[in-house]
Amino acid sequence: MSVRWQTIVALMLASLLAGCGGDTSKARFAENSALAKQLLPKARKAVQKTLDDHFGSPLDSVAWLKLPVNYGKAEGTVKTVDGQKLSVEFNAEASDLESLTSPELTRAGLLFTSGSNAGKQVLLAKFDSKNSTFETLPGLESAPSSGDQFVAAGHFLRHGRKLYARHCQHCHGVSGDGDGTTAKYLNPRPRDYRLGVFKFTSTASFPAPIKATRDDLKRVIALGIPGTYMPSFVPMLKENELTAVIEYVRWLAMRGEIEKGLVTELKGEYSKDRSKDDGIDKSLETYLSETYPNFVNEIAGEVGEKWSGAEEEGTPIIPKKPRPQDTAESRHRGKELFLGNKAKCVNCHGPTGRGNGPMTEDFQKNPDTNETYAERGLYDTWGQPIKPRDLTRGIYRGGRRPIDIYRRIYAGIKGTPMPGNSQALSEDEIWDLVNYALSVPYDSQAPKSPKPHSVAEHSMDHGHAN
Amino acid sequence: MRKFWCLFFMFWPIAAIVYSAMSPAYGWWFPGASVTELGQRIDNLFYLILIIITVVFIGTQVALGYALWKAAHNKDEKSHFSHGSHNLEVIWSVAPAVILLFLALYQMDVWRDFRVKAYFPEGTIESPIAEVTARQFEWRIRYPAPGKKLQLKPQPDDLYAVNDLHAPIGRAVMIQLRSEDVQHAFFLPHLRIKQDAIPGQVIPIWFKAEKKGLFELLCAELCGWGHYKMRAQLTAEREVDFQDYLKKLQADQNYDGFPASDSVAKKEE
Ligand code: HEC
Ligand code: HEC
Ligand SMILES: [Cu+2]
Repeated sequence: MSVRWQTIVALMLASLLAGCGGDTSKARFAENSALAKQLLPKARKAVQKTLDDHFGSPLDSVAWLKLPVNYGKAEGTVKTVDGQKLSVEFNAEASDLESLTSPELTRAGLLFTSGSNAGKQVLLAKFDSKNSTFETLPGLESAPSSGDQFVAAGHFLRHGRKLYARHCQHCHGVSGDGDGTTAKYLNPRPRDYRLGVFKFTSTASFPAPIKATRDDLKRVIALGIPGTYMPSFVPMLKENELTAVIEYVRWLAMRGEIEKGLVTELKGEYSKDRSKDDGIDKSLETYLSETYPNFVNEIAGEVGEKWSGAEEEGTPIIPKKPRPQDTAESRHRGKELFLGNKAKCVNCHGPTGRGNGPMTEDFQKNPDTNETYAERGLYDTWGQPIKPRDLTRGIYRGGRRPIDIYRRIYAGIKGTPMPGNSQALSEDEIWDLVNYALSVPYDSQAPKSPKPHSVAEHSMDHGHAN
Repeated sequence: MRKFWCLFFMFWPIAAIVYSAMSPAYGWWFPGASVTELGQRIDNLFYLILIIITVVFIGTQVALGYALWKAAHNKDEKSHFSHGSHNLEVIWSVAPAVILLFLALYQMDVWRDFRVKAYFPEGTIESPIAEVTARQFEWRIRYPAPGKKLQLKPQPDDLYAVNDLHAPIGRAVMIQLRSEDVQHAFFLPHLRIKQDAIPGQVIPIWFKAEKKGLFELLCAELCGWGHYKMRAQLTAEREVDFQDYLKKLQADQNYDGFPASDSVAKKEE
């Protein structure tokens, strides 16, 4: 019955859409125009083309195997070869295969793992799932032969994209720019992934900030971010769906970073204000054909390395000592530190932890450009005003476990002014601060708390079930 | 043509009855038998009403069909105009009134057991197992630490979870329902529980799950664009498993990078 309904609804929708003539196959990732507009038009185009080649579009995404993204893999063996037509056999389970029958796979490509093409990747022109035949694009030096093994990758990307489109896109935007349709109503704004910066990570920020781990992203997506509009997605998303959507988020983040890296590089020589310079076109052309392709690989390698670095064993911050007893003395020491000059928490969070310290009243400088912001108060890396947390409320966006608070104080909150203290403070001192910070909501509650919620006395009064 | 109309008007009630009779086979029915005893009593009320409605529906439709059919064959008699019958009016006003009054009285004990605090099972009001706060668009849950009582205000050792409510089976338990923003509704279809969550109020709900299992917990009040996201689950489990769950939650919440047994702070508890 439900199938029939779906058909009817689909037909109705199709007839509606046919009228509008929207061609979704041309959907594109939005350009980071704030950056790209600084370039010469030709340089801007080159960047766009690179991104199209290596990432594709939302409905036709490319699994660039150079990046440390788990695209989902299906292994197989070549059976017969007829020019560029390969007939293959998958070793995968039938259920996996189902997710392979996607147009996206054609852009994912095959990576040969044995035979004369071992280690080489080729893009596909067509995939016929019924007969398990591929048609490859030209690009292999020698023809594959029967018996060659390959890995076809990409179904996670497709699965992730679908889930992302359904659940995340309206806030985080198609390209992960944090500018979806509902974003403008939210404070704080949804994360713009394109800087590759995530706030609630388990990783260090000194000497250089380490990326978020997959587990960090999973925690955020599973538990949500209390106190913000980022909701919890478990149990709605199942384990394999979480995996797929996490990979998609990482992929979008890498895409954004690579875009930024390319623009930054090109901006040096080929910025917009040089359009009148003699021979700039010629010079750009030479650059694009000679140096640029290597640079693309280089920057992808760099970005990729940072992300795979986060997955290395031992990256999550684990203190050497467990949390000491949560005694009055420990809290007191924590409070002294909080108010003192060594940790300087008071500058932002204020003497009672309400988030109203003196720095929120001052004009601050943008650390990247060294310019003073037009309005008073703190700003985050994305240029949005930000308030230090009101610690009396007992809402912890990055989690309320002692280890979470420890990590926040140890490494700071990336992308925000909240600084790391791994150098300034000892472990014991950080633990004292944790004990103090966790006690603030209850200390301030006792004397003058706001009136408790009114408790309904007579359950009959509101007893209507709807 | 007369017969056509007769058949036409008879076709629809028959189609409606066949369709309704087939619904359970398509899964358009209750999600299984109720997991609570009270839910079964609610189902019984539902079935009672269904039976009354069915009898009345079939009765009136048969009467209508009979009248039409008879008239279709009767070419001699003329129709005559009437200002109504006082007796008939009385009958069809009083009969439904009696039925409704009967239902209103008959369901009272179920309603009382479900809603009236004075009749809540013993032990529920004194120690609610959790506070469930609806929020756009998730369910945030606060349990008291094992061995403690739930307080109106958050306590330092409270345990937190989101979209994942646990409750023991075999005993009546109560939760406190709140809303942080707009109106939501706490809906446990398998337990036949539905209750609005209203900002500014703390509404008690009790239930006694008789069966282990994972049950859907939904929001049943259109509360905003993300309404569909408010899908959580209730894990009904044996008392020991429930206590273990709370301990696990506690260990996770106290996690400081070391297994629970190594921790100074945790040993003390
Ligand atoms: C209702 C809007 C909304 C939806 C829907 C939403 N998010 Fe978010 N998300 C946010 C907001 C707002 C933040 C930023 C919170 C902050 O800065 O503290 C955020 C932050 C994040 C972060 C960054 C966490 C960090 O540590 O910096 C990730 C990752 C994320 N969201 C992933 C997702 C995924 C995946 C989905 C879909 C399954 C999703 N979000 C759906 C609003 C949303
Ligand atoms: C330069 C300003 C600044 C200083 C100094 C600072 N913080 Fe923060 N802190 C912030 C901001 C801004 C946030 C909110 C970040 C966000 O958007 O999540 C924050 C958030 C927090 C949080 C909440 C974390 C969470 O998960 O919600 C804690 C706890 C905290 N700070 C503790 C401290 C302690 C302890 C110190 C001193 C060692 C300190 N902060 C110093 C600005 C500061
Ligand atoms: Cu709701």
